[in-house]
Amino acid sequence: MRPLRLGYVALSDAAPLILAQALGYFTEEGVEVALFREASWATLRDKLAAGLIDGAHILAPLALAMTAGVGCDPTPLSVTFALEPGTAAITLQADLADRLPEGPFAHGLAELVSRRAALGASRITLASVFPLSLHEYLLRDWLSNAGVNPDVDVRLTVAAPSRAADLLRDHVIEGFCAGEPWNTLAAAALTGRIVARADDLAPGAPDKVFALVETLAAEKAAAAAIRALYRAASYAQAEDAQGSVSEILSRPAFLNVPQATIKSAMAAAAGSTAAHRPRQEDAVWLLGRMRRWGQLPADVDVLALAQQTYRPDLFEAAVR
Amino acid sequence: MRVLVIDPDRARAALVAEGLEGVEPLVVHVSEAFNESEAAIFAPDVVVVAAESPDRDTLDSFKASNAGVLRPIVMFVDRSEPGLASEAVRAGVAAYVVDGLATRRVRAVLEVAMSRFQLMRQLRTDLEKAQADLASRKTVDRAKALIMKERNLEEPAAYALLRKLSMDTGRPMAAVASDFLAIAGVLRGEI
Repeated sequence: MRPLRLGYVALSDAAPLILAQALGYFTEEGVEVALFREASWATLRDKLAAGLIDGAHILAPLALAMTAGVGCDPTPLSVTFALEPGTAAITLQADLADRLPEGPFAHGLAELVSRRAALGASRITLASVFPLSLHEYLLRDWLSNAGVNPDVDVRLTVAAPSRAADLLRDHVIEGFCAGEPWNTLAAAALTGRIVARADDLAPGAPDKVFALVETLAAEKAAAAAIRALYRAASYAQAEDAQGSVSEILSRPAFLNVPQATIKSAMAAAAGSTAAHRPRQEDAVWLLGRMRRWGQLPADVDVLALAQQTYRPDLFEAAVR
Repeated sequence: MRVLVIDPDRARAALVAEGLEGVEPLVVHVSEAFNESEAAIFAPDVVVVAAESPDRDTLDSFKASNAGVLRPIVMFVDRSEPGLASEAVRAGVAAYVVDGLATRRVRAVLEVAMSRFQLMRQLRTDLEKAQADLASRKTVDRAKALIMKERNLEEPAAYALLRKLSMDTGRPMAAVASDFLAIAGVLRGEI
């Protein structure tokens, strides 16, 4: 049998996939896995759509969009495992962060934006990791809650997390919302300061998930993969495993980021309890964000899409 | 043809330039990473991005938004993943994908990508126009029906009345009809 081909993007919440492979859990549970690190979500999406990979560590909104055929041909995916929430954060350029009051809210930004507009200065440019991502919605909600219209008052763009620290340093962007360890990395380089974490803005908000193409999701191999991910995630939670987890993630083949950075990113994002059962309420919540920001056609049946994509039944059947 | 090549691998980027030899006029700009302001100044006709470039998401988001930087984007993947090319095109993914980098194919691929892009843009413009036309026709129809009812007129007469209003005010008929419906709504206490 050919191995299950799984893709991921270099982020700390891909840990269960990386650990399950590195620690041999996939094999022990009875599935051979070939793991592919993808440089961008667009490429990961295209490979799923083209059938070049069978499943992936993926942005939850992207999984829903692919099933609905938003942004690509319909590619039904089944979400069978929720990955750790709370790894997203908003990082601003240090001198911009200095001009805002302390705290995870953007109060003061509206004033700054209008002052810049009055001076004829360019709009503040902020980046998320992908239009279909929790990061995009956190950033948009953070701005609009502070009276800043994300589509008018600032310029939103997309940047790969691995580039974000450099783009901040070069003043191409003035802030970004991305997953760890990239916020911690920018903060360590003193180019940025973390001003808000996902847990400050939307506690427990769904971020990434593990999804398989629908046609494979009920296979034995899929259930074995879920069990291996579950074991790996449990292992990563253990207090005394932090050293070995961060060592594995830091390897050049995986995240290729200093181990100390990963360790402190993990410590900073800890606290949110990870429930790996995919919750359809989470899907509905995300679809609400997608609709609010104009990413979902009016004729999409939100509940049906959530039920088709999010499969807690497959998770439960696998880990029972 | 102005071609922007984004590829962390310089040697492979050079192959693209080689494959375009003979195209006149030709300006190729090679960069390891995508730089938006640099790209805006260069104003490429086509962007070639390597599949393993992390900047693909940035380019992909330009396609999703309607922000002016829309450009045909061609993506090259390595020979090690031959399936991605044909499959991705078949699956209708955004980028035009090519397997491997046979230099002699580069030119043809770029030309196909550009014409496909022009076609998609034309289709999108046509669709938007068709949708706008349909919306304005619906507005005119509703206004016409209201005039027929209120003034007890036949359809041609109601239409003539709307057209006269349009010509007298020098405004499109859909605009006149929409104002008419709004005012009628106010008079009937609906607004």
